[in-house]
Amino acid sequence: MKLVSAFVLGVMIAAPVQAAEAVRRLSADQYRNIIHDVFGASIELGGKLAPDLRLEGLSAIGAARVSITAQDMEQYDAMARSIAAQVVNEKNRRQMVGCAPASPSAPDDACTGAFLTKAGALLFRRPLTAAEKDAHVAAARAATVATGDFHRGLSFALAAMLSSPQFLFRETAATPYAKAARLSFFLWDAGPDLVLLEAAGRGELDTPKGLARQVDRMMASPRIEAGVRAFFSDNFAFDGAAVPKETSLFPKFSTRVAADAEEQTLKTVVDLLLTQKGDYRDLFTTRKTFLTPDLAAIYRVPVASDVPNGAPETWTAFEFPEGDQRMGILTQVAFTAFHSPPGRGSPTLRGKALREMVLCQKVPAPPADVKFNLVNDTSNPLYKTARKRLAAHRENPVCAGCHKIVDPLGLALENFDGAGEYRTQENGETIDTTGELDGVAFHDAAGLAKAVRDNPATPACVVNRLASYALGRVPTASEGEWVRVLGKDFAAHGYRFPDLMRAIAVSDKLNGAN
Amino acid sequence: MALSHRCVRWIVAAVLLAAATPARAESRTYVRSWFSQAMASDDSDCPGGVNPPWADQRLKILADLGYTPQQVETMLSAEVSGRDRATINQIVRMRGRKDGQPVNPYSFPDSVTDPKLRAASGRYAYGFNLDGKGAASPNGFEDPETHEKGVNNELARALGCMREFRGTLATYPLYWDWTWGQLKGTEPAWLITVSGDDLARDGPVTVTIERALEHLRANTDGSARRDATYRIDPDPRSRNVFEGVQKSGVITAAAPAMRMLQDPLVAMEFRLSRARVRLKTMDDGTLDIMVGGYQPWGDIYYSFAAGGAGNESCSTGDMAGIYYLLRKLADAEPDATGRNAAISATYYMQALPAFSVAPGRPGVAR
Repeated sequence: MKLVSAFVLGVMIAAPVQAAEAVRRLSADQYRNIIHDVFGASIELGGKLAPDLRLEGLSAIGAARVSITAQDMEQYDAMARSIAAQVVNEKNRRQMVGCAPASPSAPDDACTGAFLTKAGALLFRRPLTAAEKDAHVAAARAATVATGDFHRGLSFALAAMLSSPQFLFRETAATPYAKAARLSFFLWDAGPDLVLLEAAGRGELDTPKGLARQVDRMMASPRIEAGVRAFFSDNFAFDGAAVPKETSLFPKFSTRVAADAEEQTLKTVVDLLLTQKGDYRDLFTTRKTFLTPDLAAIYRVPVASDVPNGAPETWTAFEFPEGDQRMGILTQVAFTAFHSPPGRGSPTLRGKALREMVLCQKVPAPPADVKFNLVNDTSNPLYKTARKRLAAHRENPVCAGCHKIVDPLGLALENFDGAGEYRTQENGETIDTTGELDGVAFHDAAGLAKAVRDNPATPACVVNRLASYALGRVPTASEGEWVRVLGKDFAAHGYRFPDLMRAIAVSDKLNGAN
Repeated sequence: MALSHRCVRWIVAAVLLAAATPARAESRTYVRSWFSQAMASDDSDCPGGVNPPWADQRLKILADLGYTPQQVETMLSAEVSGRDRATINQIVRMRGRKDGQPVNPYSFPDSVTDPKLRAASGRYAYGFNLDGKGAASPNGFEDPETHEKGVNNELARALGCMREFRGTLATYPLYWDWTWGQLKGTEPAWLITVSGDDLARDGPVTVTIERALEHLRANTDGSARRDATYRIDPDPRSRNVFEGVQKSGVITAAAPAMRMLQDPLVAMEFRLSRARVRLKTMDDGTLDIMVGGYQPWGDIYYSFAAGGAGNESCSTGDMAGIYYLLRKLADAEPDATGRNAAISATYYMQALPAFSVAPGRPGVAR
């Protein structure tokens, strides 16, 4: 059990605790990460959290705008009770509670207080106030008397903690502990560890040198991978939701393939940006990736797992050969299939996603009364290809404006069908994948990939998006200069993503920001 | 794109296969996605009518055993009402007599008198000229596809008037549909690799049929998956190399024998002597395959009989009747008593493009 020592608590309790000024709700991943950090990975959450609200392209921003409905609260409460019951059950209590009561059927405030103080500090990302501690100990005492079972009583108090706003919402005030939490959620997508809490308690995070020391320590930890994954999952809208596909049209696609596709892109990101310390822009042109046998069948390349039948598939590093159209994350299944409706590919959805996620350009929503008949009818003999269907659709001037922006990019990816499988023809007609991006002409997906890589909006977008992710809001106009400098430094350092993360992590915008 | 996606695929697969297949410049691998006896049933191949359905046949069995019509009616009435579903079944599944004692006819088929089921006598059957006699071959068929005469396929004759085995390449025979449904999920996939100097041209080719370590990979709708990767089973017992030629897009090849281990709960091992294959690439890139030869008819019979009464009532029909048909029509490999132990047979397979790699070779995750 990773609980704070008495020494650490002493330091922390001595530090000032201020009221939160604004809050963000924990994401599902953050909730899980904290529970597993505090009590171990064997704890099952036993529930399903409400989907995150996505604003300005990020659920990290939406997290500051959500409330908790009665239904959400029911889920949180059920999960809290389930987790608490697991922590105090006979198998786990010795390791996870850490002390034994004088009597198993009577209150023991000393043991209760010791456990709740330690666990509470990690759950609330700060030491409990005396009033909080007293209230939770009293609750445990009352529940023990009512049930005649010390551990059952303790579980009620722990469940109450897990359902409390102090756990479910992130504090964003400028306290040392809030700073520590901001750093750990940004870099690790989890609550602060003991070392960071100690540093916060000592006021170390208030000095540039102390802050840099902690940031460098966290950047050097393997846990940075979780932080990078969390950002890109958020930016690419990987929320684990099933991506439905029409089975008769795309029989290779399945929920497992969808999950693998997400993981493929994240593995590509982590390998290039963290392991290889590569140029962020190369994400759009890299031929190196990772595949499972299921995914490999969609990519039509040979990859097998050396495991028995029925065993979980394993991942294999794979490099597409020179000249192949598979190049960069835009040609991966997680992009082409996820931004397609169930029964076909969609140049419009793909173009819109590229504009919004990669280039940070807003594409207006379609008018409410728009008719999609022409676009949806893939069997119309007059319009055999998506390019022709969209050209006919664009004859409606209300539609033309947006489609002119998004379609040329998406049409370059038309060699990938609705499940991301390569094709050269649609309805017997050769697919035309030519187009242009900001004046740069291309002939195919590989050309689009290069154009995106070299477009100045590409690195500028990720700078802005990462800053927004860290702050939980879009940078204000007054922060424009900070973002501009971040972008300049990003370019000067060869577009190394970890350097950008570090620059944001040590900035006073994050650490003093609301 | 400098190389087409398909080209790249074949090149990569060819490199990976180098150690596992004969050295040829180009290789294409497929995975078996359908397996059935090659049947060409039509309206004229059973002039005396097809054999009675199992429901009627078992009533005949009861009569042959000496039960009066009234007794049969009483038992049937009890069965239909659900009051007694066991009596008829018990009588039928123990209808053999050995030393005067009831025995099951599946393990002891000659304990039952030959019910003299009808065999087919049509003009057409898929297959090969196995006996080398061509059109002069006694009882030879004409292949409906190649129109070669003197084709030997006595298995098609033996089972051709059994309802459960009738069908065509497009309309799957009930028994084989059931069998494939079992086999595809329980036995390792079969890989078919075609190798040649230039598969776009006519010329010598090698066809290798072998097992994978994986079962057939399936799509979400249960169909076989294209483009999946399989590891080749290094066990030499299920590795068969056919040498032949490609001419006008059709490959014909031969091997002295063929052997594939199967799932013994569903089918005995698949053995053929004087084995032949004929392969044709379809427009969608899949492969149609005929594989024929002389097959020990005991293998065939005991594959059916292993399912016992369940098979008999659901998917094969009268098992003893099949036994006598196979024994009577067996046309090769006489044993010490002079009785033929093998029967000419041809099977139809479909195969999807796939990749194969040797275990532990590059491209295989560990």
